[in-house]
Amino acid sequence: MYLYNEFDQTLIDKRVEQFRDQTQRFLRGDLTQEQFRPLRLMNGLYIQTHAPMLRVNIPYGLLSSKQLRMLAHIAHKYDKDYGHFTTRQNIQFNWPALESVPDILADLARVQMHAIQSSGNCIRNITCDPLAGVCADEVEDPRPYCEIIRQWSTLHPEFSYLPRKFKIAVSGSPKDRAAVQVHDIGLHMRKNSQGDIGFEVLVGGGLGRTPVIGQTIAEFIAEADILAYLEAILRTYNRLGRRDNKYKSRIKILVRATGLEKFKEQVETEWASIRYGDLVLKQDDIQRVKDRFVSLNYERCDDSQPTQPTSDSGLFRRWFKQNTKDHKQHGYRIVFLSLKAPGCPPGDVTGKQMNLIADLAEQYSFGQIRTTHDQNLAFTDVKSVDLYALWQQLDKAKLATVNIGTITDMICCPGLDFCSLANASSIDIADGITQRFKDDAVDIGDVSLKMSGCMNGCGHHSIGEIGILGVDKKGEQWYQLTLGGSDSGQSKLGDRLGKAIAKDAVIDAIDDIIQVYKTNRAGRESFSGTLNRIGLAPFKEKVYAAD
Amino acid sequence: MPLIKGNKIVADAWHVHADESVPKQDYCIIDLACWQENKASLISQKLTFGLTLEGDADMTNVTDDLQHFALIAINFPSFVDGRGYSLAKNLRQKYGYTQDIRAVGDILPDQALYLTRVGFSSLFLANEKNALLALEKLAEHNVFYQPQTV
Ligand code: SF4
Repeated sequence: MYLYNEFDQTLIDKRVEQFRDQTQRFLRGDLTQEQFRPLRLMNGLYIQTHAPMLRVNIPYGLLSSKQLRMLAHIAHKYDKDYGHFTTRQNIQFNWPALESVPDILADLARVQMHAIQSSGNCIRNITCDPLAGVCADEVEDPRPYCEIIRQWSTLHPEFSYLPRKFKIAVSGSPKDRAAVQVHDIGLHMRKNSQGDIGFEVLVGGGLGRTPVIGQTIAEFIAEADILAYLEAILRTYNRLGRRDNKYKSRIKILVRATGLEKFKEQVETEWASIRYGDLVLKQDDIQRVKDRFVSLNYERCDDSQPTQPTSDSGLFRRWFKQNTKDHKQHGYRIVFLSLKAPGCPPGDVTGKQMNLIADLAEQYSFGQIRTTHDQNLAFTDVKSVDLYALWQQLDKAKLATVNIGTITDMICCPGLDFCSLANASSIDIADGITQRFKDDAVDIGDVSLKMSGCMNGCGHHSIGEIGILGVDKKGEQWYQLTLGGSDSGQSKLGDRLGKAIAKDAVIDAIDDIIQVYKTNRAGRESFSGTLNRIGLAPFKEKVYAAD
Repeated sequence: MPLIKGNKIVADAWHVHADESVPKQDYCIIDLACWQENKASLISQKLTFGLTLEGDADMTNVTDDLQHFALIAINFPSFVDGRGYSLAKNLRQKYGYTQDIRAVGDILPDQALYLTRVGFSSLFLANEKNALLALEKLAEHNVFYQPQTV
């Protein structure tokens, strides 16, 4: 957990004052809608279908209990007592009143949180592997570097009016759990043959209307040089990215139109002019940030768990198997809190649950909570001996649904219920899928299902093993299915299954797809494995059999 | 329209030279086309003049000429168009331009501070009210993670 110093605190406090002034000027009529728009977006405030939506940053997905309690307080006081965790590890409040947003920001600042650049055409919150620091395969903990990049990008005077939004993700492990290939810039931490830390830099990835897998622009940029290199990429993009058409203004379009080689040349020319300047990161600078991360004092303990059988030990076992994971520290485990309980929109958490989670984190996991890309939460440092007690409490609070990684642990955007851009609803489809598969999700095995209400792709449908995309057909809600996408390890975009499917047939179609998988899988073969082996045709045949 | 320089409103000695003819007096701001057309005669006249650049100006043919301009005005067609920020930064850092860089066009008082952070030394605001507000914003105590561009 990074602790703010006085400078960090002053910066966000000032920002709150500025936004209060801007809001007042807007309400007085001194700023037009159009002028206020980018200013409010830079502070995380959207205007949606029903009300404003405020998106609050959770830098690299790490929260303290104290912070989570503040989020609960905000949900309770200013919203309808719940919050929604997003695929970029942030939280959204769907019902705040515009007038109260400056007060919300002031409350957030009291716990070292803010909404700066959580929307708008600027550099967004930096994300990373939700298991950073606790997974065994890590080259280096990426979080201090995320923090360094967060600071560099925060209120960046030059990059606050980019052609379009800009997302950066950092992965500290060879296995990519941060989806770096589908970010505007993806950074993979590497060690070179001398043991020096650096980054492989990918550029031009992204989802949305034109999903693109990012390409490597530099194999190894030393840690000292990384900020200058990022600045060179951003400057090139800011100067040359298209501004005439918002669907063509992401960096992926620029890279594609320019060609990677030429783009790289442009970036390196910029870089050459600033390479040895102010942005060089000295070892001291890096260490200073690392020192502001509280380190966890693990106890020496063994992996034993209570063995005496209880009436619910079967359920506990299933939860243990599906919702917890190995930790690099002996005697500890990683616990996922499922936010995909039947009947709850994916990613939604009530204020009461937030307070309970904050308490449990303090009791069992060093007072820290992680948010994941799959819209779940995690306690990353729980002693094995405590698991049963923790599970009992999570289960009571509907946070222990045994479904992590399965088809009912789906990613889903807010869709028609909240988003003014949506073509189709997604929350009711999600609920239908949960109802259909809730009893045999674990048995089906891990399947990533991702759903977006329109082609902007906030639900990442194009990288789901099963992707569902809401489309509009003459004012009716239809759904386009894709199969075979991936965001783990090598990212891959899914292939279209066939023509769009009517709303009332979607759940059956998903069921058909699962049946084909189950009948054809060899042993414990994954969904993608089976799909690769047998191809799209059998799935197509089954889903469109009636046609 | 009021001009801000050195954190105060000052009189503006400059005027925009709108046509393609060769300017005959000091303190004209010409555009890139005029410069390229009349480069030789402009240099021989030894006048003090400035240049307007659009945010997407191709700098390849002017970087060697920058010493001839006592002022570079960067135009913002819209306040959400951020190209001018990077252009100013380039002028300062990459091309070593040390004279006046002026922001003109559609700029908001709320942007005054950012503009000065990336290397603008003067700002041309739309009206008195905006200029006063911009001065207020510039005077506020502020902190930044990024180094000041000089
Ligand atoms: S994918 Fe479309 S419908 Fe869903 S949240 Fe994004 S813009 Fe809205």
